[in-house]
Amino acid sequence: MQLFRPLLPAREWTRIEKYVVSDAGMGTDVFGTTPEALGLGYALGYWLHRHYFRVVSEGHEHIPATGAAVIAGNHSGVLPFDAVMLGTDVFRNTEPPRLVRYMVDYFVFRLPFLGTLFRRMGQMPGTRRNFDGAMEEGHVVGVFPEGAAALGKPANRRYELHDFNPGHVELAARHRAPVIPFGLVGAEEQQTMLADLRPLARALRLPYFPVTTTFPWLGPLGLLPKPSRYFIRYGAPLWIDPEALRSVEVRRREVERVRDAVAEQIRLGQETRKDYHEGRA
Amino acid sequence: MSTPDAPDRSGRADVVPGAAAESPGNGPAPGTLREGSRRIFIAGARRRVAVHLIERMLATPDVEVILAVDRGACPPALLGCDPERFVYASADLSRRRQVDNLFLLDRFRDQPFDTVLHLAFVGNPHGYDFASHEFNVNAAQHLLDASLRHEVTKYIFLSSDAVYRIGPRGDYKVREDAELNLDPKAHPILRDTLDAEFICRAKMDFPGCEVMVIRPSGVFGGGVISGMNLLFESNPPILPVGFDPMINPTTKEQLAHDLLLATFLRGKGVYNVAGKTVGPLSKFLEERGIRPRRVPGPALQAVNRMQRMLGLTRYHAGFHPKRLYYSLVLDDAKFERVFRAHADKVAAVAKHLEV
Repeated sequence: MQLFRPLLPAREWTRIEKYVVSDAGMGTDVFGTTPEALGLGYALGYWLHRHYFRVVSEGHEHIPATGAAVIAGNHSGVLPFDAVMLGTDVFRNTEPPRLVRYMVDYFVFRLPFLGTLFRRMGQMPGTRRNFDGAMEEGHVVGVFPEGAAALGKPANRRYELHDFNPGHVELAARHRAPVIPFGLVGAEEQQTMLADLRPLARALRLPYFPVTTTFPWLGPLGLLPKPSRYFIRYGAPLWIDPEALRSVEVRRREVERVRDAVAEQIRLGQETRKDYHEGRA
Repeated sequence: MSTPDAPDRSGRADVVPGAAAESPGNGPAPGTLREGSRRIFIAGARRRVAVHLIERMLATPDVEVILAVDRGACPPALLGCDPERFVYASADLSRRRQVDNLFLLDRFRDQPFDTVLHLAFVGNPHGYDFASHEFNVNAAQHLLDASLRHEVTKYIFLSSDAVYRIGPRGDYKVREDAELNLDPKAHPILRDTLDAEFICRAKMDFPGCEVMVIRPSGVFGGGVISGMNLLFESNPPILPVGFDPMINPTTKEQLAHDLLLATFLRGKGVYNVAGKTVGPLSKFLEERGIRPRRVPGPALQAVNRMQRMLGLTRYHAGFHPKRLYYSLVLDDAKFERVFRAHADKVAAVAKHLEV
């Protein structure tokens, strides 16, 4: 922890210390979150947020200060730095700070150290029960409805949204929680995906195996993202029709509504980026 | 028979007889106090938790008599018990005739048992052979059959949390309806535990008897043969590098308390039972001043085997191989709601019970 202290200003450490982890008896909450791991994750995320990806964001007022919410948006960039930046951005710009709990792909929890670290930072495997648990405990749940495969979008399909899985809509309807749509611009440019080696991905049980302009040519270093600036926009909360739990038609309509809202935030984000680069923002 | 207004001889005032206590179409509501005094058959009396449970039960006036059964001699801790209320018998529960004979003992023929607790499951992987397998499955079958034939009104089988499938896609809290470990390559003890559970579950709709399966999380306590306890008693515990699963172990005292509630209160079905504290395995070790050693995952079973050969541990890493890698936190909200929430009713008859 002390090693990472210089990465964060003192006021941010104060915010971390103030973040309440509901102690289940051993200094962690029931999900395994520890303040130490949160501090570590946030310190690294904060440094990337501020100095590497230089995130510009707006619309934080749409994130509820308390209670459960689902935050859903686009996914891209070969490695999920977008998720890290979104989580950091929400934590940094909400008062009291809110931790985004992601439903993480199972394979992460098979890996020594990484799985444990993710769990200690409040992330969990994407099972229905975990979704429900996080919502019941009043957390913000982060969802990428396009799925992990969207990270491996080829360069010629940038900012095209894949079909959305309906899970987030069902979850929000079941718990009467709002869906906060967000659009994230900039992650698509951090890597240029040329091809996806699907047979190799299947053999390694990965959602995709990327060939980019730098990977695998430069080895693992080739996976490091370019420091492209991120623009994140949060839209107004969407309240899901509870009928989505009973009607496939309503569910499909609600999923489309969320997808359209995300597409709109991406479009606005791209405009903001253009204005920013032209010096108007 | 007591009435709601007049406490009976033991001070019990919470018996809610008749229609008021009945759940729709299913007899008395779960969580209400069973009427009358208890005549209890306990199989597996040499287990630590059984000894603890018997001591507690004998301190309860509403327990009329206990027949404790196991193979071998009576545990020393129970030798001084009142012979009017406690009988120990040595029998092989895998033999149908011997099980029947226990129900037909002179003392219990006219006043039969109303509760059977099956705690006799052989759960030690060390030297687990065909005879152990035969004992586990047959004892479960014969004991339940005999209980139903002799009109026992409550049958409780103490299972294990090892029946749950665990892995990287685990739930943060595992409910009773979670996926079971039906892997045919699983350790024979797990397969036999599931067999015994299924035997019980097949009879759960039997109208005259409330059949319960209790799945406790790892149980701590001196001499307890649970995986978690054996790991903690190892010198030193060996854990895989880079993993720190979440657990919520219980203690033998707490488990005995929960079994007592299950004995006195109505309710049937499958229930998880766990401790209140949830945390990473490493924190539980740290709290007890135990320093584990960590080895790379692929070497874990070999190191564990060597430790066993040297007599440094009785923990068997091959029994439940994913246990030290992935979290298993039992959700016992159902037991809490049906039983612990009504502990005050039992406390009225068992003065020593902490509510």
